[in-house]
Amino acid sequence: MEAILKGLGLLLEWQNILLIFGGVFIGVLVGALPGLSSPMAIALLMPFTISLDPVASIAMMAALYCAGTFGGSITAILINAPGAPPAVATAFDGYPMARNGEPGRALGLAAVASVFGGIFSLIIFIAATPLLAEIALSFGPVEYFGLSIFALSMLASMSGKSSIRNLIAGCIGVLISTVGVHLATGVERFDFGVSELTEGIHFVPVLIGLFAMSELLTQSSTLQDAVRVMSAKSLKLPTFAELKKLKNLILRSSGLGTFIGILPAEGSTVAAMMGYNEAKRWSKTPEKFGTGHDEGIVGPEAANNAAAGGAMVPTLALGIPGSGTTALILAALVMHGFRPGPYLITETPELVYAIFGAMLIANFAFLGIGLAGARFFSLVTFIPKRFLWPSVFIFSLIGSYAYSSAFFDVWVMLISGIVGFFMMRHGFSPAPLVMGLILGPLVEETFTQAMVIHDSSFFQFFESGVFLVFMALTVISLSSPFWPKIFKKKK
Amino acid sequence: MSKQKQKLNPATNLVAGLVHKIDLIVASILIIGGAFMYYEATLFPAAPNILGDTLNADIFPKMLIVLMIILACIIPFEIRFMPEKIAKIDKDRSVSLEPITWKTIVLLITLVSVAEFLGPMVTMFVTAACFPLVWGEKNYVRIAIYSVAFPLFVYFVFNKLLGLFFDPGVLQYLVKPTN
Repeated sequence: MEAILKGLGLLLEWQNILLIFGGVFIGVLVGALPGLSSPMAIALLMPFTISLDPVASIAMMAALYCAGTFGGSITAILINAPGAPPAVATAFDGYPMARNGEPGRALGLAAVASVFGGIFSLIIFIAATPLLAEIALSFGPVEYFGLSIFALSMLASMSGKSSIRNLIAGCIGVLISTVGVHLATGVERFDFGVSELTEGIHFVPVLIGLFAMSELLTQSSTLQDAVRVMSAKSLKLPTFAELKKLKNLILRSSGLGTFIGILPAEGSTVAAMMGYNEAKRWSKTPEKFGTGHDEGIVGPEAANNAAAGGAMVPTLALGIPGSGTTALILAALVMHGFRPGPYLITETPELVYAIFGAMLIANFAFLGIGLAGARFFSLVTFIPKRFLWPSVFIFSLIGSYAYSSAFFDVWVMLISGIVGFFMMRHGFSPAPLVMGLILGPLVEETFTQAMVIHDSSFFQFFESGVFLVFMALTVISLSSPFWPKIFKKKK
Repeated sequence: MSKQKQKLNPATNLVAGLVHKIDLIVASILIIGGAFMYYEATLFPAAPNILGDTLNADIFPKMLIVLMIILACIIPFEIRFMPEKIAKIDKDRSVSLEPITWKTIVLLITLVSVAEFLGPMVTMFVTAACFPLVWGEKNYVRIAIYSVAFPLFVYFVFNKLLGLFFDPGVLQYLVKPTN
């Protein structure tokens, strides 16, 4: 109880409230701007938060994460250009509804469904995180190694173009994390005589490069693309009767979204698509989907925002990110000196409650900011790319330099961006690489500890029941991309 | 290749026999890179005997590289078991890079190369002026306003408000220190 009061008390300081609202504003803004995304914004913000209060910084990022998911829906509805991938499904019915002369109603439905989805997942988040952490506290290195292998195997089913490429990107991420001095032996690994590499590759410049620079290069070939904006002067929140009609759908989508969010490596995009499909499957009027149907907006919106809260559960309780964005929040926790995993809630419970409070505030704040400023946020898409993206580069440059006041990090950022751009062209997603980079040290540390405990015998790992369960889950997750084909053949 | 697969894949000429030509190159790059890293790992000094074999610094990276190479070997054959997904990747990469993208890469490398000498402040001014020009902006007044206003805004927020140190760079030669 004391921790809850302390955590929520931290949020009531005016500077922290300001940071949370700032996070919400930035979140909605970057969510609304096609090309910009909440992971990119968090990566860019990370180095600048070093001097801020750690709890407030993490709370701000959590608020940004929540708001960013909704922000993408504004442009998805008004200009049929989803600002973020989770909003793609919202555009299927949101844009037709806007075109039918009801843009305000479409936005209202999206906002209210998002808020319900967000709050539902936060209730699960605050109930499940301590329980999961308590279970994880009983894990030894073998069990933790099993868990991290399972989390990495989930990259195979992560949204992307190819599961094999996702796994390779994850391996590259883990490999990058091995650069520098090996803590157990003091051996310098993969430094190639470059003194800066002996302390390892800082993850912040890599993240900035992968999310901001590679997108900048992608955008360079779309400078001529024009957008058509729709006026959203008349904002209309759904009536109580409408909400009553949609309550089952909202609950179902919120539950689905939260569950998908909790699964390691799955994110809001998968949740939104499944939310849309399930809404259509359960609908009494599936033929109306795609023509501007209420259910086609509410289903994906409740699910994608619920996934944001769900993804925080494994991130905070186990130290295993639930999505690409939570991998960045995990990185921010490490940067601020916190110990992600089950010890987080035993050592710094106030942080977990502060994050909960920040996300709760964010859910209501983006309802206000998003609705009142919908017109403004739809107009920001008119910022010429020729000025928007140079600004992103300047932030990237200053951000990667600010991390350790070293120009070496600026080079790391640039190289990561260029390599990331070419990787993306060939079907490799940046998110698995980031997850590998963040999980890498945990995988190696637990593997080494487990090997020491079991006298270098890997087969002794299988004596642990929990490890066996994680290995079984790993096999299931690695084979999951092939399930649709197998089931299709059987049918 | 079946007619159905040909229909799904917009770049069927990229497939030769069992393998996808471009993916073969991608896999080769990964395998060569992996082999080089593996060789590097073999050069790591061994841990003292007291620590045992498992603590050697090369064990984990070697395992990882082997796994990566095995996965990379599958890439050229992905077209055989998931043609729809590879068709999507081919759709993206079949369009050759536009000259502006190459120009942007060169510009980025140039800006980062001179950033240490110029210092962050001057680099921001140069970036704000050069980038829109290279990207074809013709409104010079707008460029002038942006290239002055935006770096000043960034400097004010991050230096004055957040206390971030900006290395003076070339400015230290231009602005004489006052005693």
